[in-house]
Amino acid sequence: MNRDKIWHLFARKLSGESSRDELHELESLIEEDSPLKYEMDALTQLWEQKLPQDAEYLEATYHLHYEKMKKLGVAPVPAENEQVYFETGKRNSFKKRRFIAVFGFVSVLLAAAIVFLKSEDQTPQKKSTDQITHSPNEIKTKRGSSTQFKLPDGSTVWLNADSKLNYSKINATGIREVYLTGEGFFDVVRNPARPFIIHTESIDIKVLGTTFNVKAYPDDKTIETSLIHGSVEVMVKNRPNEKYLLKPNQKLVLMNEQYAAKREKDQRIMPVNIPIVFVKQINYLQGDTTVSETSWVRNKLSFEDEPFAELAKRLERWYDVSIEFKNKEIEEVELSGSFEQETLTQVLEALRFINNYKFKYKVEGKQVVIF
Amino acid sequence: MQNNHPYKKIQDLQRRIAVYDDEAAYKELFFFFFHSLTKFSAGIVQSKETAEEIVSDVFISIWNDRARLQEIEDLQLYLFIAVKNNSIRKLKQQSKTRTVSIDELAVEMDSAYQDPEAKVLSAESLQNIEQVIEHLPHRAKLILKLAKEDRMRYKEIAILLNISVKTVDHQLAITLKKLATALGATFRKKK
Repeated sequence: MNRDKIWHLFARKLSGESSRDELHELESLIEEDSPLKYEMDALTQLWEQKLPQDAEYLEATYHLHYEKMKKLGVAPVPAENEQVYFETGKRNSFKKRRFIAVFGFVSVLLAAAIVFLKSEDQTPQKKSTDQITHSPNEIKTKRGSSTQFKLPDGSTVWLNADSKLNYSKINATGIREVYLTGEGFFDVVRNPARPFIIHTESIDIKVLGTTFNVKAYPDDKTIETSLIHGSVEVMVKNRPNEKYLLKPNQKLVLMNEQYAAKREKDQRIMPVNIPIVFVKQINYLQGDTTVSETSWVRNKLSFEDEPFAELAKRLERWYDVSIEFKNKEIEEVELSGSFEQETLTQVLEALRFINNYKFKYKVEGKQVVIF
Repeated sequence: MQNNHPYKKIQDLQRRIAVYDDEAAYKELFFFFFHSLTKFSAGIVQSKETAEEIVSDVFISIWNDRARLQEIEDLQLYLFIAVKNNSIRKLKQQSKTRTVSIDELAVEMDSAYQDPEAKVLSAESLQNIEQVIEHLPHRAKLILKLAKEDRMRYKEIAILLNISVKTVDHQLAITLKKLATALGATFRKKK
C-alpha cells in the first residue's frame, strides 16, 4: 500500500497540490525507501524544466494573427504608438489617448492606401545621423539630422537639425563661450567660477550649471530659451538694460525681429499684440515628465497647441523637406500631438485626420504643398 | 511546494488589456499560451495548421470581448475550454463524427526536455523516459502534459477533461511511478 501512496504524494508535490502534512509524510516515506530518492530527485528536476520559447516562431505567428485582426478591423493599437501614453503616466487625458488611438487607426488605413499611391514611395524618412559635419571647434547638422556630443569642458550638447555650434572659445584658460545658430539642448557642467555663455544672433545666455534648451533659428517667429533645472540669465542683445533670470520650468520667448521684418516686407499680417519678450511656463505633455520643448533630444517630435505654420517649420527641418501653405486658414490652426517613428506621409495623414480632413496635401520629392 | 504558476501575472495582463486596451499585454498573453493551446488543440483536430487557426480565433474573441476580460477568474482554464470546444466543433464538421472522446486525444508532449547545462540525466535515461511517455495511454499523457507543461491544478484538469479530481490524482501517480521505474532500471544497471 505504501508503495502506491508514495507516488500519489510525489505527484501532488510536483503539481503543487500537497498539504503540509502530505509533504512531511512523503519525506518520511522516502527516508524509509532510500533508493527511490534518486529517481524522485531526477524527476523533480526534469519536472521543473520548461522548453524554452521559440520566440522567433511566436513573433511570426503573432504577426500573422495581428494581420488577421487588421483585416477584420479589430486590431489593437500597436504598443509602439502607445509609448507616449505610458511615458506620460496614468493620468493621461482622454484627448491624448484618443489622438493616439486615432493615429493607430490612420496608420492601418495608410498601409492599405500606400499600395495604390506610388508617388508616396518617395516619402522622406525621419531624421538620420549621417548628415553631420565636424570641423575643428565647430559642429554643424543638416536638415533631417541631429547629433549629441561632448564639449571640451565636459558639458553635453544635443544639436537639432539645421543647426550650428561653434565652440572655439572653450579652452584651457577657463573661458566657456559658444555660438549657436538653430536649436540646442545643453547640459552644462557646473562651475561657478567659470560661467558658460551661449551667444546667439539676438540673445546671450549666461549659465552656471544647468540643463536647458535654446531654439534660435533665423527663420522662426520666436527665439526660445527653456530651462529644465538650474538657473540662467538671458540678455537681449540690442537692449543692454534688460536681463531676464529664468527659474526652472520657465521659458523665455523672444520675437525674432529679423523674422518680423521679413514678414512685414512680405506684406503679411504681423501679430501686433505679442510683446517682444515674454516669459512663460514650459509645456509639459499632458501628464508629467515629458517636456515638449526638449522631446526632440529623444528623437521625438512633440507639440502642444502649436500653430500649424510653426509646426511646419519643425517638420521641414525634421524631414528635410520644404512645406508651402496654399490655405491661409489652416496655417493658424493649433495642433497637439507626438510622433516618433512615423514617415512624413503618416504624420500628414494623422494631422489631416484630427482636422476633419479640412486640408489636403501633396508630396513631390522634397516639396510639400498643403491646400 | 509552489507550482510556479504565474496566476498573478496573468491577472495583471487581463487587467491591462481590459482597462487600457494594452496591445503589449495582449501580445504577452498570446506568447504565453499560444504554444500549449496549439498543442492541445492539435491533439483533437490532428493538424497543426488547423489548431493554430483555432487558437488565433479564440484570441481574437478575447480581444473583442476585452471589456469583460476581468470577469474571467481562471483565464488559463477559460482559454483551454474555449479551444477544446472549438476544436471539437471543427473536428465534427470535418469528419462528420458524432462524438469525440477526450480519452482518444493523441496529444504530443514536448520531448522530455532538459536544459543542456543542467545535465541531470544521461542520454540513456532521457531516452527511457521519452519511451515511457510515448507509450502512455492518451488520457494519461494528456494529464501529464497539462500538469507538467501547463502547470495546471488537478481541479482545472478535471474540469477541462470532464473527469474527477480523483482520477487526475490517480493517473498522475501511476505515470510518475512508471517514469521512476524506467529511470531506476538505468540507475541500477550502472551500479
